[in-house]
Amino acid sequence: MKRRIILSLLVMILALMPISTVFAQSGGLLNFALSGNPDTLDPHKTAGTLTFQVIKSFYDTLIEPDITGKLVPALAESWSTSADNLVWTFKLRKDVVFHNGQSFTSKDVKATFNRILSDATASPKKGDFASIKQIDTPDAYTVVFTLNAPFVPILANFASGWGAILPSSLIESGHNFGAQPVGTGPFKFTRWLRDNKISMVKNDRYWIKGLPKIDGVQINIVPERTIQVQGLLSGAIDVVDIVDPEDLPVLGANKKVKVTKNLTSQVLVMAMNCSKPPLDDLRVRQAINYAIDKQTVLDIAYGGGMPGSTFMDTGNAYYTDYTSLYPYNLEKAKQLVKETGVGAKELTIHVPQNYPLHVKAAELYQQMLEKAGMKVKLQLVDWSSWMSGVYTERNYQLTVIGHTGKLDPDGTLAGYGTAKRYVLWNNQTAANNISKAALTADLELRKRLYTEALELMAKEVPFMYLGTSYRYVGMRADVMDFRMTPSLDTFDFRWTELK
Amino acid sequence: MDFVKFFARRLGRLLLTVFIISTLVFFVVRVIPGDPALIIAGMDASPEDVQAIRVKLGTDKPLLSQYLVWLSSIARFDFGTTLISGEPVIKLIMERFPLTLTLALLGISIGIFVAVPLGVMSAVKRWSLWDYFGLVFSQLGMAIPSFWLGMLLLILFAVKIRILPLFGADTPAHFILPAVSLGFARAAIILRMARASMIEELSKEYIITARAKGLTERMVKYKHALKNGLLPVITVTGIQFGYMLGGAIIVEQVFSMPGLGRLFLFGIYQRDFTLIQGGVIFVAIIFSLVNFLADILYSIVNPKIRVE
Repeated sequence: MKRRIILSLLVMILALMPISTVFAQSGGLLNFALSGNPDTLDPHKTAGTLTFQVIKSFYDTLIEPDITGKLVPALAESWSTSADNLVWTFKLRKDVVFHNGQSFTSKDVKATFNRILSDATASPKKGDFASIKQIDTPDAYTVVFTLNAPFVPILANFASGWGAILPSSLIESGHNFGAQPVGTGPFKFTRWLRDNKISMVKNDRYWIKGLPKIDGVQINIVPERTIQVQGLLSGAIDVVDIVDPEDLPVLGANKKVKVTKNLTSQVLVMAMNCSKPPLDDLRVRQAINYAIDKQTVLDIAYGGGMPGSTFMDTGNAYYTDYTSLYPYNLEKAKQLVKETGVGAKELTIHVPQNYPLHVKAAELYQQMLEKAGMKVKLQLVDWSSWMSGVYTERNYQLTVIGHTGKLDPDGTLAGYGTAKRYVLWNNQTAANNISKAALTADLELRKRLYTEALELMAKEVPFMYLGTSYRYVGMRADVMDFRMTPSLDTFDFRWTELK
Repeated sequence: MDFVKFFARRLGRLLLTVFIISTLVFFVVRVIPGDPALIIAGMDASPEDVQAIRVKLGTDKPLLSQYLVWLSSIARFDFGTTLISGEPVIKLIMERFPLTLTLALLGISIGIFVAVPLGVMSAVKRWSLWDYFGLVFSQLGMAIPSFWLGMLLLILFAVKIRILPLFGADTPAHFILPAVSLGFARAAIILRMARASMIEELSKEYIITARAKGLTERMVKYKHALKNGLLPVITVTGIQFGYMLGGAIIVEQVFSMPGLGRLFLFGIYQRDFTLIQGGVIFVAIIFSLVNFLADILYSIVNPKIRVE
């Protein structure tokens, strides 16, 4: 009897032991670690970064940014604009097939944008395409968008993840794209176990011949940073998209792991509520800018980066450097604090507690501002409270946040200079420039208008512009050509290989 | 007959509890700051787009009418669809429940199978080596947080000696370490309970009577004393099991397992009202059921104690 129990126990233990092949890499399957579960896989029903990062592999857009950020043809072979920028014509590729076998035509493009614009969809990105008045399909491979008013940034919106094209037949039948994505993308969706993993296999009929190179990708949802790092070290994970700067020494010591470093497209800031005293006083905002040692904060809180000086990511073509306006100068800061008497009353910095890096930065800001003679309190809030209380209702004085990159400067700047934006900075010239720049396709004129607006933002400092940080991507040494789409921070597995 | 009455009364109380809790939760999640439409909309949406999302979610309507709509659907056992992903709440819960239940059952089994014998041994052989071992074990179990133990176990068994997987929930092997880290702390509490309760029983007079009757020491300890000594252990285990469902959240996070805990946690982060409400009702029902089962078990172990 006893022996039988021991025997059956042994059998049980053996059965529970994982077979070593579970961990071994089979021919070309990439194991990716993502830190959170996307809300949905429907490109039109969310604004969540995690969703767009994942669905880049399932769907395509009419045009897309290349590795340098330039907009290049994708599902559309070419495009043209009328002289008044009101009519946009796209010529479509003829060799594209959806994952369900349906051929891609202009009908799909029309159905897709009608879906985004429909009230029933309630797309958070509807505003990006709201200028579309009419969509015509003169033939199966031509789409003509007629706009209400000229809106040049729409081109960048066509290239963003939320402009993903869905098959018209499934749109009509009310298919649940959120759970079962069907697109023209490089990988076909196989399975999504919520909070566990998303699997995809290579699309053999992808319209770029020879791509993708790997057979499939498994996106593992691994929320703990430590486990991601251990997975990378042990080989259970091939790529981790964001490595915390603190983990760099451990990863650097392992020869089978490599880490790449790139400038992100984030604009890291401490925003200031310019509508209420004391921050309505320019001198107070200047004092805050003088008091912050930007490079130190970037290095300690964000793992390094390039200090900024206006409201644009420092790697952007539209960025101009104004760092000489308000360099780190503690004496000047102290003097301004004394002059304005701002040190008498306590200021509060609101920080979303779900972003540990912002929290770390806020602690440094607190110390630096106190050194300059101010009294500062930190208030940690959860993301939902931040979105409603701080960002929407504007009940704050100072807040630490990062603005994600956009393909077009209008995406970053639209609404600034008016009460539409949370810093409540009022500047008619800047606001006019920003809205004028959206009307023209003249690149030089746009550059001039945006530069003027950005210079005003740099001088009047509705923000303390910290700058743009680096992103560290960790991967196994045998992973080749894993790409991140510039400005959008989405993953592109098309060229990736496992050597 | 008695049992039917007892059962009916318990069921009535359960329904009342669920009603009160769900009404409370309905209003609490709406009173605290946060708006699911803003979470869906993100940082770049226009106020018009945000309003369109509110209309679609139905959160633009007056609170009372939202409450009535929800109450009528709950009465039909319809938990609704989540605000963020639009999927049926009950489907999401049912997808996750088996995993969390398995974790909790494994955890509590480890707790029982390790702690009860160890606790009883400690009590029977007081101040022996066994007892010291048991005491140290229970001190450690209560002092070590389960997430930390989980991390250590992972680094040892999934990174240094690679015999167990690092993340996921696909094979039975994935459940070993989470169950151990979840069960360890529970075992500590159950062990203390078992030891204390056995010591108390062994000092009672009927034990002396039993010995005087000439029963063997084995019979005295393991038949008479143990039976009574286990009663409080059952109660504690029942409560521990309920907490285990909550404790699973942390373990699910550490071991990257898709359980109920993470589902509800993100529901709260994102102010997904329907998901939070559905989750609270579900957990309340499970909690009540477990207590109910513990009561029944109680009366089976000791028929003299009829509940209520």
